[in-house]
Amino acid sequence: MALRQPNVLPGFGLTFGFTTFFLSALVLLPLAALVLMAASMQWSDFLHVVLSPRALGSYRLSFGASFLAAGINLVFGFIIAWTLVRYEFPGRKIIDALIDMPFALPTAVSGIALTTVFAQNGWIGRYLEPLGIQIAYNWIGVTVALTLIGMPFVVRSVQPALLEVQRDLEDAAETLGAGRFYVFHRIILPTVLPALLTGFTLAFARAVGEYGSVIFIAGNLPMKTEITPLLIVIHLEEFDYKGAAALGFVMLVISFVVLLTINLLQAWGRRRHVQSTR
Amino acid sequence: MSITLDQVTKRYQGVPVVNDVSLDIGDGEFFVLLGPSGSGKSTLLRAIAGLSGVDHGRISLHGRDVTHVAARGRGVGLVFQNYALFRHMTVADNIEFALRVRRVRAGERRKRRQELLRLVALEGMDNRLPAQLSGGQQQRVAVARALAHKPEVLLLDEPFGALDAKIREELRRTIREVQRELRITTVLVTHDQEEAFAMADRIGVMNLGRLLEVGRPHELYTRPATRFVATFLGAANLILARQTKEGIHFGNRAVGARVAAPVHGARDHEVVAVVRPEEIEVAPTREALSSGYMCQGAVDEIVFTGALERMRIRLNGGSESLSLAYSNGDAEPYLEVTRTQHEQRAFQVARGQTVSIGVRRIHVLPTPLSSFTVCAPNEGLGGMLTQQPLLIELATRMKTRISMRIESMLGVPGTVSADGAEFPGTTVIASQPDVAHQAEWLLKRGADEILILPNHATPPQKVLIHWAEEAVRSATLAVSASVLRHVSAEAVYVGIMPDMTPSAQRPHGMRALLDARSEAQAVHGLEMRTELRFGDVAHELSRQLGETPGQMLILGVTEDSRLVERFGALLESARWPVLIVRREHEGGL
Repeated sequence: MALRQPNVLPGFGLTFGFTTFFLSALVLLPLAALVLMAASMQWSDFLHVVLSPRALGSYRLSFGASFLAAGINLVFGFIIAWTLVRYEFPGRKIIDALIDMPFALPTAVSGIALTTVFAQNGWIGRYLEPLGIQIAYNWIGVTVALTLIGMPFVVRSVQPALLEVQRDLEDAAETLGAGRFYVFHRIILPTVLPALLTGFTLAFARAVGEYGSVIFIAGNLPMKTEITPLLIVIHLEEFDYKGAAALGFVMLVISFVVLLTINLLQAWGRRRHVQSTR
Repeated sequence: MSITLDQVTKRYQGVPVVNDVSLDIGDGEFFVLLGPSGSGKSTLLRAIAGLSGVDHGRISLHGRDVTHVAARGRGVGLVFQNYALFRHMTVADNIEFALRVRRVRAGERRKRRQELLRLVALEGMDNRLPAQLSGGQQQRVAVARALAHKPEVLLLDEPFGALDAKIREELRRTIREVQRELRITTVLVTHDQEEAFAMADRIGVMNLGRLLEVGRPHELYTRPATRFVATFLGAANLILARQTKEGIHFGNRAVGARVAAPVHGARDHEVVAVVRPEEIEVAPTREALSSGYMCQGAVDEIVFTGALERMRIRLNGGSESLSLAYSNGDAEPYLEVTRTQHEQRAFQVARGQTVSIGVRRIHVLPTPLSSFTVCAPNEGLGGMLTQQPLLIELATRMKTRISMRIESMLGVPGTVSADGAEFPGTTVIASQPDVAHQAEWLLKRGADEILILPNHATPPQKVLIHWAEEAVRSATLAVSASVLRHVSAEAVYVGIMPDMTPSAQRPHGMRALLDARSEAQAVHGLEMRTELRFGDVAHELSRQLGETPGQMLILGVTEDSRLVERFGALLESARWPVLIVRREHEGGL
């Protein structure tokens, strides 16, 4: 604070004040309320709610499907971003705009739309049914829904990073004798990896919290196709606010741990990379 | 030969960006490709590197045809303007990249890396990341990286573009030293003529996708063959002069200066003289000049640039005025002059002062096209002709001028030209029903080249070349080469034999075709395609011209070519520009 540099916006003191205020009012305070609500429970009641077989099943589905969906998005989101950045084709602008649609659509609409397509009598589902493939009303359907809503996150985080990978770098690598695969995993991937991980994290976080689009396609069978957010809503409908808070608290903790792990991994990867080149 | 290019052509959306380039670069040579941006020099370099394919032609490296070999198989090292270092890798990893790809063992890699770092004077920088280096250092790393796999050819694409002057100088020296030490064939692309002079063994000047001239720096500077090279390599005053058996004349005065001029033909004709600013002398009076007197002028502007003083001198009008090639009527004629400190001390000048101007040395361009004179029966038509895009484009690119002249009797048999004057340079007339008669009228009265323009004539994409008699082959080729240096078009020579040519004679046609091509290439540096047709000449030509729009015809004729009878219909169709060439042109380009 000794160095006061003139800036366009008001100084550090003021902006930091705003930052803490907004974070507190919009993030920390509600979370604290949640934790308090859960903490007011009896320890045994708490454990009973959060460790019930139904809750355990829902965690597995929620986090497993979210992870899977984010993984699928990692691969295909990258390909979409690559296509949009590297190729010039008619309709590119339109496709680029379509990417954001899952952001704008009410999630319930996405859910209904997905069900229309993938249910046993849906447009695609009816042809998959005779093949023994069922998408709606099981974990696959959940994953499909979570993939849809997470996709823009990966595409939008990778796009700017890919724009930064100059063609010259690839040309240079090629004249130095590198093949396509080598160029991809030694030059392109390291450059966009941080952005890819960010996209993955965002897609995962979004998927964990998703509710609207999943409940239509999931079928919501307890233990099988019931996601944690739905279980929370069920508790709420039974006016069991504390139970809902307890489940919410568990989600919060798991999400936080996963996100923190990814961030640490990323930082570690960066450090390790620099060191390995010594 | 280390690098051999044979008729390399690369098109983008149908437009040739590299147009029929043939070039041999010797072992260990430092070759500089020089040209303005958009001249195709970088594209050509990328084609040599294998990063972009070619549409036509062949590329060989050390005798191996690599036209269809991918970049990684060509064994070249490439350095980019923006360094293109791998930012997530250290200097060491960047340099060893090519060796890692080739699975060279670690110990050997380290040895080679150290060798290269010493070569570019960056010892001890192994563990830095590119972001921790200055621009000059980054480019040194890029050079070391490009040399790691011991390429046979080093390619440098404007490597100093992003550096400031001091660093640039230093890096230039380093690269030249490295190149000498390794004796590696090197091609450098630049738009900076000073850089080209400083580094090159030989320079190739490119413009509009064509390789205009190739030569040693001094040779190109003192004896350029084209206007473009004359003005792109340093400053030049282009002056229209008359070449006669006695020598070069400015206006009606013979020039008493050292003249480098091509062999003179049988007839007087207009030529373009190059006078370098440093070859001009200024003195208070005509008598005080130590060189040949040229004219008088008033000092208009003086700029001090350190070692040299640059002046602009406005020429006095009137009878003794010089004909500056690029003064376009409205623009005032100026001469560019530079003087050394020594000259400045001998004679101080002030703005506005009238001085006598002398010239020490002039060089005459061998180009057959000097200036354009629009010739029309009335002002209206003449004015319209001067507005044709093709004519404006040609004149601008050739840095020459368009003048207008009214000939009310144009095409009327038995009449004389206005003032009985000659027709110097290229005469431009409008395409109209009796244009063939007009052309013949002009040819009879001494015009050497006649450009017939249809309305809305635009620069062509393809130029057809044909001569009616073998006697005008050289003249037609010379004019074609001159035109094609200034438009971005492909050249096609069309040889036409009568329909009933017995098959035994057809090989002669082929032979003539190949002779034409090799003459075009050897004497004029013009690369062209050739086609052999059978049938009536005028009919075949108009059929081919009619196939696609955007074509132009260059037609060589002699006095006995019976222009009206044989080509009347072709000329009068008013759909394509035609340049008629008549002059017997001996020697030179």
